[in-house]
Amino acid sequence: MFSKSIIKELTHIVGKDNIRIDKEDLICYSYDATNQKFLPDAVVFPQNASEISLILRMANNEGFSVVPRGAGSGFSGGSLPVEGGVVVSLERMNKILRIDTDNLIAEVEPGVVTGEFQWAVEDLGLFYPPDPSSLKFCTIGGNVAECAGGPRAVKYGVTKDYVLGLEIVLPTGEIINTGAQTLKGVVGYDLTRLMVGSEGTLGIVTKIILKLLPLPEATKTMLAVFSDMRDAAAAVSRIISSKIIPSTLEFMDKNSISCVDDYVSMGLPADVEALLLIEVDGVKELVENQAETIKKICLDNRAKEVRIAGDKKEVKKLWQIRRAISPALAKLKPNKINEDIVVPRSKIPDAIIGVREIAKKYNLTNANFGHAGDGNIHVNIMIDKSDKAESERAEKAVKEIFELILGLGGTISGEHGIGISKMPYIGMELSQSAIDAMKKIKQVLDPKGVLNPGKIFPRS
Amino acid sequence: MRTLKQFTDEINKCVLCGTCRSVCPTFGVVNREPASARGKVALCGAFLNKEIGLSDGFIKQMNECVQCMACRTACPNDVNVPDIILAARAKIAKEKGLPFAKSFILKNILDSERLMPTAMKFASKLQGLLFKGVPEESGLHRRFSLPLIDERRLVPPLADRFFLEEQRARGKGEIASALPRNDITPNPELRTLNSKPRVGFFAGCLINYMLPNIGEASLKVLEKAGASVIIPYDQHCCGMPALGMGDVETAKSLVIKNLEAFEQYDMDYITTACATCGDGLKRRFKELLSDEGEDVRKRVERFAGKVRDITELLVNELRIQNSEFNRKSKIVNSKSEIVTYHDPCHLRRGQGIADVPREIIEISGAKLKEMSHPCRCCGLGGTFNITNYDFSMAINRDKAEDIKNTGADIVATACPGCIIQMKDGLHQLGADTKVVHVVELLASHLTSPLRGED
Repeated sequence: MFSKSIIKELTHIVGKDNIRIDKEDLICYSYDATNQKFLPDAVVFPQNASEISLILRMANNEGFSVVPRGAGSGFSGGSLPVEGGVVVSLERMNKILRIDTDNLIAEVEPGVVTGEFQWAVEDLGLFYPPDPSSLKFCTIGGNVAECAGGPRAVKYGVTKDYVLGLEIVLPTGEIINTGAQTLKGVVGYDLTRLMVGSEGTLGIVTKIILKLLPLPEATKTMLAVFSDMRDAAAAVSRIISSKIIPSTLEFMDKNSISCVDDYVSMGLPADVEALLLIEVDGVKELVENQAETIKKICLDNRAKEVRIAGDKKEVKKLWQIRRAISPALAKLKPNKINEDIVVPRSKIPDAIIGVREIAKKYNLTNANFGHAGDGNIHVNIMIDKSDKAESERAEKAVKEIFELILGLGGTISGEHGIGISKMPYIGMELSQSAIDAMKKIKQVLDPKGVLNPGKIFPRS
Repeated sequence: MRTLKQFTDEINKCVLCGTCRSVCPTFGVVNREPASARGKVALCGAFLNKEIGLSDGFIKQMNECVQCMACRTACPNDVNVPDIILAARAKIAKEKGLPFAKSFILKNILDSERLMPTAMKFASKLQGLLFKGVPEESGLHRRFSLPLIDERRLVPPLADRFFLEEQRARGKGEIASALPRNDITPNPELRTLNSKPRVGFFAGCLINYMLPNIGEASLKVLEKAGASVIIPYDQHCCGMPALGMGDVETAKSLVIKNLEAFEQYDMDYITTACATCGDGLKRRFKELLSDEGEDVRKRVERFAGKVRDITELLVNELRIQNSEFNRKSKIVNSKSEIVTYHDPCHLRRGQGIADVPREIIEISGAKLKEMSHPCRCCGLGGTFNITNYDFSMAINRDKAEDIKNTGADIVATACPGCIIQMKDGLHQLGADTKVVHVVELLASHLTSPLRGED
């Protein structure tokens, strides 16, 4: 509980309409997509960097913690107020400040919804590629904090590849600008890169300068069906080695496909081990050629069928299969543990076979799908949380899966971040010296540890 | 009806992913989490866990939902948020009673004797005193301060004569009275005479009191399509507004009264031109009586099985043809009217009907031009529009602009509630787009004088 004087001062900073301390409001800012809940002491809705600066200065004086929050759609708990304190909701800072069609850059506030920003630039013939599957409701501020990716990463990279500069309020309250609004810029340390993916622990982003691309003229979407996962993996390698980088190269395994009703209704072969959803984009003629080449590669690698979408409706249908999976998995078991591991592309079959063996060993249901193009596979262990024994087995399985992935030269999180979900496992991937180096950076920028405490690093 | 407690599993199905934030219209206006479907589910969970009580904050959030069902459609786990919220409202109404505005509307209008209450007739006569007409629109603005009515509101005038009253005066429904249901083996002669499909017409409050022209158009089109129409005079409000306010008992009693009114006649179908009523008749009637005895459940099952929205009845059952209704084919050198279509929430998401109303627009000879977001809620939300007028119109703002941006001459829909709301919104935006029910497109093409040009 906050003292009256703290509430009074916070109210003075943001105005009485922009602070909430009622239990009903606090409950609504206590959770995110990890489905965990931690009640804050207050929620504030600032409208600019100066207000956030005052809040952070106050936090340092009074000793309360501050947790920034976008849409609360993260999968690692980045926006959870695990130690209470003030949630700084950036929902009000949701303006696209400018879209510069001459220089192909845009400047936005952190609360802008990613999908809405994409549609706005697409109306002008421009393109902002990062496409996390939550793009219709997640915010760019959250994407920057977690360095969100998505299917297009294989060709276009992830959020960090588009952030040119930032306005940030440091944990101690100073407002700084990093980077530049030009494509080049090497003045001083690259604080922009440090901030992107720092999970809201090193500063609160208040403005973001983003790089834009011209919108590709055409896209072509296709679906390839394989009865052996190794054939699918070989096709992926062949596509890339034939110098075609698809804008999407999505993989779905047997268990994932079995949950999707639409798949059967589309008259696709029943006996399937793996599906690839592939999309190429670019100049029209090139895209047509590439689609034909990819089709041939898939057939050469024993694809049972390759279907190229003829019109927009068919594109939607093919994507529907991929999009339906995540929700449809609930048919297997009510709760899912979703790990966003990454392995080098060529190691995908080894990773999936290994994961299946681990699942079998612990008698768990498992389904895998994800971004084959960049090796980022969503490994899902399906459990019923009310079954305690099963949950415990799952926990053991997760640890073993991480060991497997690291052994294959992979990483334990491709796009969700560490937060609190993967905190116990960070030491499996990073050396103690690396963790110590990171903690020193945190210590320098946030000596009193007020900003988003209890994240990333386990307490020693 | 399930109680809020019985929704515990449904509430736990929500994994708090936040997808509903992308579609929830109240969140779209407020842009703060408690306004979103996810926030409301979390609050219901907290209430059941006794973390909060029936506080003002809780009640406010439960009331601020337009029941558009967009969240449920978007939800990856198919969490039935709209029904969770209805169950919460029922709990609130039971423990706290209904606030003045709601009980006023319920007692005086919705739960009155049939659809011909004295209070409404009185109001119809009085309205000239209370409101001034808006010449360019078929609506009224209030003359001075009135309870429940915002001064900017464009109020559709109450009909001089209510739909049902008018039909009775004209002797419509005679066929119906000739075929009482308790006459199990109806006169074979009469049966042959009336071999046409027999369709019971459920008017609903808005068509009855405010937009009888939609009722008239429906009858005209149904008859042209080869149906013989029965209009039971004993019909009542469908009960959905009462259910929406949390007054489950009133809703139940209205369902029973309607069952009785329609069971008197032998009907092949029961139809309505109101999307909300239709959703109620098909789905909610059964839910409301789910705790009753088997006999009642069978009756309501039989009733619900006959219900068709008028658009699906015309296209799928009566199979109307382009040639019967297309006005354009009869006019040389005519230009097609551009019509855009708004999907009523209770038709598209409630009843899964999206294509047939669009087919009707094409059958009428008009040219359909889609708006950007045809399934976005108009913001009416039943009595939400009366208790939260500004909020309701803020939701409508996007809809009105979307319609205006199509450049269409007409926006057609299939729900009188949406029509009233969109008229108000377009009027406040200064757009002169006409707002009609799709059956009116068909009816106008049957009767209006043919001109050389449209």
